[in-house]
Amino acid sequence: MTYTSSAATTRVKLIPPKELPVLVQKENEYGSLTSKEFLLETKRLKSKSLGPPIMDTPPYYIVLITYLNYLILIILGHIHDFLGLKFQKEKHTDVIEQDGYAPWFSKFESFYVRRLKKRIDDCFARPTTGVPGRFIECIDRISHNMNDFFTYPGSTTMCLNLSSYNYLGFAQSKGQCTDAALDSIDKYGVQSNGPRTLIGTTDLHVEAERLIATFLGKEDAMIFSQGYGTNANFFNAFLDSKCLVISDELNHTSIRTGVRLSGATVRIFKHNDMTALEKLIREQIVLGQPKTSRPWKKIIICVEGLFSMEGTLCNLPALIELKKKYKCYLYVDEAHSIGAMGPTGRGVCDVFGVDPNEIDILMGTFTKSFGAAGGYIACDKWMIDRFRLDLSTCSYGESTPAPVLAQIISSTRTIMGQLHPGEGAERLQRIAFNSRYLRLGLQRLGFIVYGHPDSPVIPMLLYCPSKMPAFSRMMLQRKIAVVVVAYPATPLIESRVRFCMSASLTKEDIDYLLRHVDEVGDKLFLKVSSGKANVEEDGRPPRWSIEEVLEKTPQDCKYDRFFLD
Amino acid sequence: MVAAASIDAVASTLPNSIPVPVPHFIAKLGCQLSSLLTLLLIHIPGGTQLLTYIKKSIHDDPYRAAVEIGLIVYGILYWLAKPKRTKKSYILNDSKLLLSEREINDLIEDWEPEPLVDASILEEQRWRLQSIPVIDTVTDDTKSLKQPFINISRDDNKEFYKNVLNLTSHNFLQISSLPQVLDVAKQTVENYGVGACGPAGFYGNQDAHYTTEYKLAEFFGTEGAVLYGQDFCVAASVIPAFTKRGDLIVADDQVSLSIQNALQLSRSTIYYFKHNDMESLENLLIELNESEKLEKLPAIPRKFIVTEGLFHNSGDLAPLPQLTRLKNKYKFRLFVDETFSLGVLGKTGRGLSEHFNMDRSSSIDITVGSMATAFGSSGGFVLGDHIMTFHQHIGSNAYCFSASLPAYTVLTLTKVLEIMDQDNSAVNKVQVLSKMLHDFFITDDQLSKFVEVTSDEQSPVLHFRLNQSFRDLIFHYSMDSLFETIIKFQQKNSTTRFIENFENEEKFLQKIVDKALIKHNILISRNTIVMKHESLPCLPSLKICVNANISEKILVDALANIKESILHCCQELVPKN
Ligand SMILES: Cc1ncc(COP(=O)(O)O)c(C=O)c1O
Repeated sequence: MTYTSSAATTRVKLIPPKELPVLVQKENEYGSLTSKEFLLETKRLKSKSLGPPIMDTPPYYIVLITYLNYLILIILGHIHDFLGLKFQKEKHTDVIEQDGYAPWFSKFESFYVRRLKKRIDDCFARPTTGVPGRFIECIDRISHNMNDFFTYPGSTTMCLNLSSYNYLGFAQSKGQCTDAALDSIDKYGVQSNGPRTLIGTTDLHVEAERLIATFLGKEDAMIFSQGYGTNANFFNAFLDSKCLVISDELNHTSIRTGVRLSGATVRIFKHNDMTALEKLIREQIVLGQPKTSRPWKKIIICVEGLFSMEGTLCNLPALIELKKKYKCYLYVDEAHSIGAMGPTGRGVCDVFGVDPNEIDILMGTFTKSFGAAGGYIACDKWMIDRFRLDLSTCSYGESTPAPVLAQIISSTRTIMGQLHPGEGAERLQRIAFNSRYLRLGLQRLGFIVYGHPDSPVIPMLLYCPSKMPAFSRMMLQRKIAVVVVAYPATPLIESRVRFCMSASLTKEDIDYLLRHVDEVGDKLFLKVSSGKANVEEDGRPPRWSIEEVLEKTPQDCKYDRFFLD
Repeated sequence: MVAAASIDAVASTLPNSIPVPVPHFIAKLGCQLSSLLTLLLIHIPGGTQLLTYIKKSIHDDPYRAAVEIGLIVYGILYWLAKPKRTKKSYILNDSKLLLSEREINDLIEDWEPEPLVDASILEEQRWRLQSIPVIDTVTDDTKSLKQPFINISRDDNKEFYKNVLNLTSHNFLQISSLPQVLDVAKQTVENYGVGACGPAGFYGNQDAHYTTEYKLAEFFGTEGAVLYGQDFCVAASVIPAFTKRGDLIVADDQVSLSIQNALQLSRSTIYYFKHNDMESLENLLIELNESEKLEKLPAIPRKFIVTEGLFHNSGDLAPLPQLTRLKNKYKFRLFVDETFSLGVLGKTGRGLSEHFNMDRSSSIDITVGSMATAFGSSGGFVLGDHIMTFHQHIGSNAYCFSASLPAYTVLTLTKVLEIMDQDNSAVNKVQVLSKMLHDFFITDDQLSKFVEVTSDEQSPVLHFRLNQSFRDLIFHYSMDSLFETIIKFQQKNSTTRFIENFENEEKFLQKIVDKALIKHNILISRNTIVMKHESLPCLPSLKICVNANISEKILVDALANIKESILHCCQELVPKN
């Protein structure tokens, strides 16, 4: 059968929800705990500063092959471009000038997208339906003409979900959070009336902000309707070109956008390198502003709590020490760590046992652990008062709608133990166990894994760009949904798959995952770790068999002695 | 455990090979290359062996050898062409600076930073915080309250007002509060939960999002649509996604803050034309085209005209027919922010283009809209052709690096559009009320002594401000002098801007708002301008918003009361002589 890319065949249609018994559906969204053994209470790090992260490196030939792989792709891409623009003009109308108009994107700018990413487009933006819980229902699609367009036969596949940021498993369609959201629709409706300073504030906003402030241990907090927008329109409220922002090189785009908008000068330091940071601060205090050499008005250090591509934690105790020593200010974006990490789910402060008031500004998002949407800023009350007047989002943007606030309130209260006492703690202990189990399991099988032992983000290195689609497709065949990422989100050669752990997965789900990753890893030749980032065993790189891993790891992963860092 | 059970069965049915859509010859080429490379590696210590190998391969298969050598040369060139990072040495050890360790320590010791946030003028501006209304639903009688009436509290529950007529809501059509729409929202929460838990590229986009994008495109007659998480971020993400250094943007000089941000992030060269003045625009375009011809650039830069449908700060209407004519004549692309005009302009609410009886896809290249205004859901979106929307899905920051909207918000919008398709009574109602509101203010002689209306009669938001003679008399400044002050602040780079005259006028306008609220239980509002962000001419104004839930009678009564409040406050100020 031949398909054409007509609108009728390439549309993703609305999939009617499956009629499943309530219990089954609940289980599909949030698997119930199979044994108390699979829980883990994390301990605080007692303000202990982290050492420099240990990054395993692949054998030299892997690096070489990876470069070669890119080289071939780039050369073929250029040949394709050359021939295509000569002989198939009608297929490249988007990159050539047309009756006096410049193309939307130049040929050069879009090369990567058209010639590299497009080859593996079937691994990205898979449409889904329903709740992104323990399982995610992917809508099947068929690729045509090398990913030129997709058609949708209308069927779906249930996949084990390691892709959503559903850390605490609050993506559910049953339970206290959904009930709260439904009630709020009755009471408040779905609209947002206008900007916060105009008429967008309701008593629900006030309640949510108080709750978040209490949860974080800060004086006051503000809530916005989008995490990206929180960062992107934050820094221009208090920084100008005479201020300096010192930013980790891996900070999220939203932070960079926000800082650019403020006009402040930016200096970058190497990811988590505290010596480089100190050097930079000293240098900048002495040198002052470029050209005028006047001292900086203020210096603010921006980092993320948990880096979403690396799984590394910021070195909070060291940062606080530096900030105090040099009178700088500290801004921590906890998008991924809030809720997901720490014995009580209060993010990096909780992990390190640091008083949240040591950090000047805490930012985070509700899209991840809370299963809602939006972002928050938390700091001292006098600052928040100023921000309420000065932040552009407050006076020009929409306010957070009621159902989202209801989800935020009910999930936060669950984490705090005010709603369904015990459930929040169980979720936290489940994700702690799950994360460590998968991490140690992968390490023992011989894969290179980055990040902190407790991180729910577990990046596993693939290196060769061609192994990305292979891994993703093979996992999809095995009904596991994973996210693969490559340049420009990572360094050029460090293509990786990122497993996002969730409290909704059971230990058996992770067994299933490990078995298949083991098999695929053998086929794709991915077990290349040198053992540098693991606990020394017998001097040889770890290459455990899958049965051994499944037998011992569930117990071992609870002990710190099996992890470096 | 249906799903879990079925998942175990998968392993046995797996195919052995990986379905990789790569042409055979590429795979072959790859194999050959890697085998060559291994060989090379083995032989590297012995150069002679390498040479014999190359000789042999040229002899055996000259074609293959040529390709291989070409590849290697290209690889080396490519590697060399990579921009090298210039290593900055640790400047403190630079011999030119010659600072001893002690001097450095002293300097560091001496440095005293400013506070993180400048709170010096917080007390002078606290009245702004205290005047923010908070909608209250805790009181028992809220159930009996009917739209458009609400209970509000202000200043941390110190003030409380019951049964207030709400003339500030941006939810103009109020379709999203209909029971059938709320049912869709609830149904969706029951099927999808609340959050989408991921960005669009990583399984965050659900069938709901795709469906809504189609529906939006269909409704507005464009090829494609893109959904964003927050309306205020859209423009600031869309424009920079397409522009780079050397591109041209010609913008109206009264665009709102979201576009000002976009222009700042765009890296392009920006020119302004006088607000809604097509002559000024055409002269500018002619000038730009001439200078472009002189420069003889290697490629045409991307060129945009940027404006708004109904202006955020004044309620003016952009003259679309002329804009379209000019953009076609001078080969610019037209960007229109229709946050306030979609849903309310035109017979069926299809916005600016319908209002002027034009076709959206041929008249406007990029339309930015908000789901949080007339449509009463939340989020923002962009409308345009296939290629433009395709590139946004890949290259627009606020789309790629932010989680998808909750499914219920987008399906609510779909339902709202469906209702609008069948029934345009809400749109009609808003238009009738807008016109009434406008006529009342325009025709009243007493009011025109003090205030002037800047908004169009089609605008559901009536903007009015003190007229210049009155402002001169009381507050002693004008739009031009205010703009000069803003520019001065900008040049000095100060983040804290306190302009006393402006502040006094705002305070006075708030007094009118308070009067209407306290005496008549009517809520209107100031147009909230954050002075520290503004970089274009602006003036304080008051806003009255109508929506489809207000009956004509209520509005007429309210207007009389608002008029009284305005006159009362203004007359108090006029010096008696
Ligand atoms: C560090 C960080 N900040 C902000 C965001 C944006 O949050 P949201 O998805 O809620 O817009 C993200 C999301 O990926 C993030 O990783």
